[in-house]
Amino acid sequence: MNSFFTGIITLVLSGFIAALFSKKYKVAILSFLTTVAFVFCLIPAFKVFIEGENLTYSANFNPIFQTVNFTIDPLGAFFITVISIMSLMAVIYSNGYLKPYLEKSKNINSHLVFLPLLTASMQLVVTCSNALMFLIFWEIMSLSSFFLVIFESDKKEVLKAGIKYLVFMHVCVIFIILAFALCAINSGSYDFSAFSEVLKNNSHLANLVFAFAFIGFGTKAGFVPFHNWLPDAHPAAPSHVSAIMSGVMIKTGIYGILRMLSIMGTPSKGIAYAVLIISVISALYGVLYAITQHDLKRLLAYHSIENIGIIGIGTGVGMLSLSYNNPSVAILGFGGAILHILNHSIFKELLFLSAGSVYIKTHTRNIEILGGLIKSMPYSAVLFLTGSVAICALPPFNGFISEFLIYFAMLKGLLINNFFALIVLLFSIAGLALVGTMAILCFTKAFSIIFLGMPRSENAKNNTKDSDRVMLIPMGFLALLTLLIGVAPQYMFNFVLKPAQVVMGAQTLAIPAQYGDIMQTISICALSFLAFVVVLLLIKAKFSNKVALHETWGCGYDKPNNFMQYSASSYASPFLSMLKPLFKKVFDIEKPKQLFPKKAHFSLHIDDIEEAYIINPLVKFDEWFLSKFESIQSGNIQSYIKYGLIFLVLIIIGSFYIG
Amino acid sequence: MAIKILNLIIVLFVPFLMLGIIKKTKAFWGGRYGAPVLQPLYDFVKLMKKDFVISKTTSGIFRITPVIVIASALFAALFVPLASSSAIINIPAGFIIFAYILGLSKFFSLIGAMDTGSSFEGMGASREACFTTIVEPAFFMLLASIMALSGNYTFDALSKIIENSGNYGILICIFALIALFIMILTEGSRVPVDDPATHLELTMIHEVMILDNSAADLALITWASGIKMLLLSSLIAAIVIPQGLPQWIAVLAYLALMFIISVIIGTIESATARIRMSHVFEFIFVMSSFALVVLALVVARMFGG
Repeated sequence: MNSFFTGIITLVLSGFIAALFSKKYKVAILSFLTTVAFVFCLIPAFKVFIEGENLTYSANFNPIFQTVNFTIDPLGAFFITVISIMSLMAVIYSNGYLKPYLEKSKNINSHLVFLPLLTASMQLVVTCSNALMFLIFWEIMSLSSFFLVIFESDKKEVLKAGIKYLVFMHVCVIFIILAFALCAINSGSYDFSAFSEVLKNNSHLANLVFAFAFIGFGTKAGFVPFHNWLPDAHPAAPSHVSAIMSGVMIKTGIYGILRMLSIMGTPSKGIAYAVLIISVISALYGVLYAITQHDLKRLLAYHSIENIGIIGIGTGVGMLSLSYNNPSVAILGFGGAILHILNHSIFKELLFLSAGSVYIKTHTRNIEILGGLIKSMPYSAVLFLTGSVAICALPPFNGFISEFLIYFAMLKGLLINNFFALIVLLFSIAGLALVGTMAILCFTKAFSIIFLGMPRSENAKNNTKDSDRVMLIPMGFLALLTLLIGVAPQYMFNFVLKPAQVVMGAQTLAIPAQYGDIMQTISICALSFLAFVVVLLLIKAKFSNKVALHETWGCGYDKPNNFMQYSASSYASPFLSMLKPLFKKVFDIEKPKQLFPKKAHFSLHIDDIEEAYIINPLVKFDEWFLSKFESIQSGNIQSYIKYGLIFLVLIIIGSFYIG
Repeated sequence: MAIKILNLIIVLFVPFLMLGIIKKTKAFWGGRYGAPVLQPLYDFVKLMKKDFVISKTTSGIFRITPVIVIASALFAALFVPLASSSAIINIPAGFIIFAYILGLSKFFSLIGAMDTGSSFEGMGASREACFTTIVEPAFFMLLASIMALSGNYTFDALSKIIENSGNYGILICIFALIALFIMILTEGSRVPVDDPATHLELTMIHEVMILDNSAADLALITWASGIKMLLLSSLIAAIVIPQGLPQWIAVLAYLALMFIISVIIGTIESATARIRMSHVFEFIFVMSSFALVVLALVVARMFGG
């Protein structure tokens, strides 16, 4: 445990130390220090996994906090591992990404301070088992990520997105405080273990607390309808920050939900159904809006909502099986969900980092004006492709393994002899299949419009070089991880079983041998599939006939134009035309006029239906309501003194009555 | 063991026969003599010997696509019961692996088509991707419902529908068969969804995606789509052919069924025209609604008393 805190202190200090160095070495020093720090953090995590015993540390701060316990149990150790590895990759990547900003940006030093601070606070969030301290670390996490989001604060839309993020995070923390306060009032202590005793004996309280916690943590994680900050904040942040936020930080929301589950024991059936249904809706909503997006990072942000939904489906199935007293199925659901947390953090980080490479080289996030980048950036293209195949959950990559576990849990759950459970699960299976095919549609669109075909603008045409090696290496490492987990799922399955058991309230249960056998079979199939493809490719390369180059077939037309290619909007349009009512389309049209039209303009923008019909009216109402109080703010010092006086008198009178 | 080797031989050769029989049937209804049944196989051999003509726009993706498509079609075959009672790799939830391997082949055929930068191929890819989003959920719902009946998550559940569902058995079978048949027409790109024999790029779906493929690439892709059709037809066989027949009769029945399915597809292609593109969705939604009917019947069977 000492080594863990050494790591945390190193992390906190590393940013300040790095800020002292000259521009050239700053980021390199930061990467070195964070590497050391993460090694310190990982040692206790691995110790927990190998020895199987929780590590604890108690600190006695002062009368308010009472005794603060830090515990690393398998669930915490799992999250420490994910946070450490993923943050490290992003920090190494930032060596290349921040280069163009080093000269011109004023915010570089504060950025370097908040980056390790964010990771340190996340590590503390997943180990702290005292509600008050948890909230403090949670707040540090939200604030430091806010400062990271507004890195390019000279841009108006970045600031706007940042403030929206800040507001959402504080709404979310209100609900978490409510949940914790309810527990604290009933238990008289801030320690999670005390919460546990109260919640296990009072199921009504447990339901209420879980509902508040789900709204609070779900806002952080990005469940629909609390997702609205995600698609704005991710594009605004620099790519390595979006990678950390989407890959790791939103998972702390999931951590909160899982931790609440482990505290409250067996969930009630209603809560389990609610989580499952909200998750299916989130997954569908996320991927549907991802298809409509042309901003690469917005697209990826919507995919985070989708994947959080998939993690939620696994959790929901686990909860449902647990509430119907079927732990051998529940472990599949929770195991699948936890493995998907890891998998999603790997491939989403990979995708965000590749998106960053594309942005740095072409200075645009609009995929409609890209194209043909595979010729100038072959490595980034292959890495993005790996990430795309993995996120579509296609074998032999890692996404498939966790989705398979979740599917399998749902299929096994069909045996719960309950009318409602059967119907909900059957529709969830179909829903997850729909999510999968829509993800294929979305990523074939994104990959092929960005990297394939011919360049659609000067931005894409002028680029000649791939990204720096220091950016490609962490991406390559992540791509390797996606493949490794895909071909050796049996080890990963055993790895996630322990955290899954913690979520289930530390039950010890016999894992059916069947699960391991299936993982073994998948592993053999994946390996032989890869070998088969490689052999076929070698045969093809060896015996290939002569190759003649020619123009693409254009119905006999021999002078194809780059703008005659299919665009991202046209690729998605047959699908979107089926689902018209689910969007708010905003057209911006300037028709050609007069005999010799000079300019014409057409653009189509698709608004988030929730933002357009719920959030915006709410904000409008809020503005209207608050404007009624404008007259109080007169700007006149005398009247402010008057308010102070009235307030003082009220307090004095009040203290007589209460005291 | 012998039966497994026989299965492999079936996967390798029967797709050509099915394509040949479909063409022969169309020739018969058209009053022509038609090409020999083995013509698709001759074409395959001929194409393998030809030189490639490749678009300048394409990248490596275009070159590896046919290999991944054929490899995933062959691997998917391992998870499907063919002429034997159960699949070569018969694990629970095998149908998910089956569907996702085919998903991999679809992913690559889509980006392979987009790699040419052609507007026609983009159009085909976009339509194909769109149809898949309707077909797959229906397929999952259908199979999951059938598996809920028996609590058996392998493809074996398909052959136990009647046994497990009493009076509802016949109805479930009929609706499941029609849904699967529509899936064959859609995924195999046959009339009325798509017309493999059309000469106008604008109206094609699957055929237009492979406009720029030539020689061995084209041969492999055609073979792979034949295999896919065979695999989906095998699911029909798993429902129709009763369990417990002597092995050689089961194999003969399977081959006969493949012949019948090919003749039916050929007859449909001769008798109907392809549907207008904007109405294709409605046709595929018929599959979803039939899958829903199967779901309802399964729920009725399990909880309807």
